[in-house]
Amino acid sequence: MTIPPEIRDLAQRLLTYEAAVDTNSRPAEPAILRVYEKLRQSLTVITGVASFQSLACRALVLAKSEDMGLGVVQIAADGSLQNFGEVEPQADIDMGQIGVYQANERGIILIARLLGLLHMFLGEVLILRLLRNAWPNATFDDRNSGNGRKA
Amino acid sequence: MTAEDKVKINKLPTGVPGLDEIVGGGIPEFSFNIIAGAPGSGKTTLAHQFVFTNATPERPALYFTVLGESAIKMLRYQQQYTFFDPSLLPESIRFINLSQVVLENNLGAVLEEITKEVTKSCPAVVVVDSFRTMVRAPQEGMDLQSFIQRLALFLASWQATTFLIGEYAEEELRDNPIFTVADGLFWLRQTTERNSIVRKLQIVKLRGQASVPGLHTFRITNAGVQAFSRTFGLTACRRNALGLKRLSFGIPEMDKMLDGGVREGDSVLVAGSSGTGKSVLATQFIAEGIRQGESGIVAVFEERPQAYAERAATLGLDLEKPQSEGTLEILYLRPLDLSVDETMHSILSAVQKIGAKRLVIDSLAGFEMALSPGFRADFRESLYRMIFALTGIGVTILSTVEVDESFIEFPFSTYSISFLTDDIIRLRYVSIDGQLRKIMTVIKMRGGNHAKDIREYEITNKGVVLLDTRLTEYQGLIGGLPVHTGRSGRHVGTLVDAEDEENG
Repeated sequence: MTIPPEIRDLAQRLLTYEAAVDTNSRPAEPAILRVYEKLRQSLTVITGVASFQSLACRALVLAKSEDMGLGVVQIAADGSLQNFGEVEPQADIDMGQIGVYQANERGIILIARLLGLLHMFLGEVLILRLLRNAWPNATFDDRNSGNGRKA
Repeated sequence: MTAEDKVKINKLPTGVPGLDEIVGGGIPEFSFNIIAGAPGSGKTTLAHQFVFTNATPERPALYFTVLGESAIKMLRYQQQYTFFDPSLLPESIRFINLSQVVLENNLGAVLEEITKEVTKSCPAVVVVDSFRTMVRAPQEGMDLQSFIQRLALFLASWQATTFLIGEYAEEELRDNPIFTVADGLFWLRQTTERNSIVRKLQIVKLRGQASVPGLHTFRITNAGVQAFSRTFGLTACRRNALGLKRLSFGIPEMDKMLDGGVREGDSVLVAGSSGTGKSVLATQFIAEGIRQGESGIVAVFEERPQAYAERAATLGLDLEKPQSEGTLEILYLRPLDLSVDETMHSILSAVQKIGAKRLVIDSLAGFEMALSPGFRADFRESLYRMIFALTGIGVTILSTVEVDESFIEFPFSTYSISFLTDDIIRLRYVSIDGQLRKIMTVIKMRGGNHAKDIREYEITNKGVVLLDTRLTEYQGLIGGLPVHTGRSGRHVGTLVDAEDEENG
């Protein structure tokens, strides 16, 4: 099961947006963790902890099948993401910048898998409404849509 | 205390077509209601319709989900309905899941959580779905009744109209203290009758206003729940005074038999066995109405509208043109699991749409067959309500009914519904001179001096044509096996009592 390009694009935009917004205040926390946490906070209210946790676990399994480097990552009982900071770069690549790139890429894969599941269950319109609630100042512009989508 | 002195209770629209009329105009604002019923009976959908109709960004709706259906699945399924407007999420409608609180704490904690959210949002509508799942395990500190009592007090003070949704079996309706707290109790039933599902709702109680009593049919479609009031939405309509106008069949001799025609607003029954021309007569009645500028509806159950119009064309009656002009609608109603109320809704919508004055139901047997088996038992009672409702708004109804031909009796209808009709026209076969011929007579005409004649008629390419002689030379015509008396036939000049003739 592959991720639709528009879902992957949406995940990338969320990570980019979050990375740009908060670099000064909390530089130590990776954007992936902040994006995931916002999604968790926002969705848990609606779905409940157990429902979100099981959805996140499924997303993680799908993400791991795509990138084995996510092997150490886990989802806690409250749905929070654990061990993402311990994700190792691939052994045959030792350049520092590549490591950062891979962390971002793995973050995109995980968030895209989570959004993909939500998209499958709830549909695009509802997902965008929920994202808008979590990121009220962000713009999710759909370049593929004639109507366009604004947050 | 005068009406002006009394506090005015606002009524909120339910968002469920037909339900506002049943509950007496809408749900009382700030009321505390319970929607009860078996799983799959439409409780959640009904609550969603109310929420989507009344929530605003200023006064949002809080929809608390507890255990049971997962919120994701609920949203997945509910968004399939046409009323589901995602643009209302999350500003106007907020879904909040309380399952963790329920699993880890007691009812006191649940109440605290609801209180916190309500205080924060000041909602106009609060739904707890399903409150009953909160007490699957033994509770410490607070029982369900105390929880409901305190929740009701709190939400009323915060000016919220509330719905609690709960799975309840029929037998739990009696002596349940929880229900005494509620201002409104909506009971949804779903039963299987042979191969059909029958859904009915009942307003068991609703404080502060008069709801329509009894069980009301409802259906769940892609538009959500749609309710069909037993009074067909006509409770607010004034009954028309009996009309003085006579409606013609377009058959002068027959109009004469009816003292000038059918009285406007009457219910006419045309009874006869197969092939006696009931449908032909009905078609002539509707066609003559259209010719005189009276729009009409034909509800057919045994043939499709196109076939009905084509058959009318063989009689020289054009039903295509009035259909295209919007003065005639031919309804084909035969999905085999209808309720009378749904059928009525279709007919009434068509009547109101084109301002119909004449309605033909062809036939009652087909109508009955189109109903779900569960509704057939109530067919007479339902017909009574339908006829009363439609004639009350001035529609003249002509129904056809097939009766088994008997040569020892003269039945009017297999449904014993002659008391529902103002006028009865009976068609039948008689065996005369080696031929199977047809006769008609007006059995009954409420408020009219109808002819007592027994008239022979034929069905020609112009429709029903009455022959110009009465069959005075025969006795026992209505039995179907007349005896020739040797007297010659008489022309119809005066209305002579057929009974006298029968007696010689």
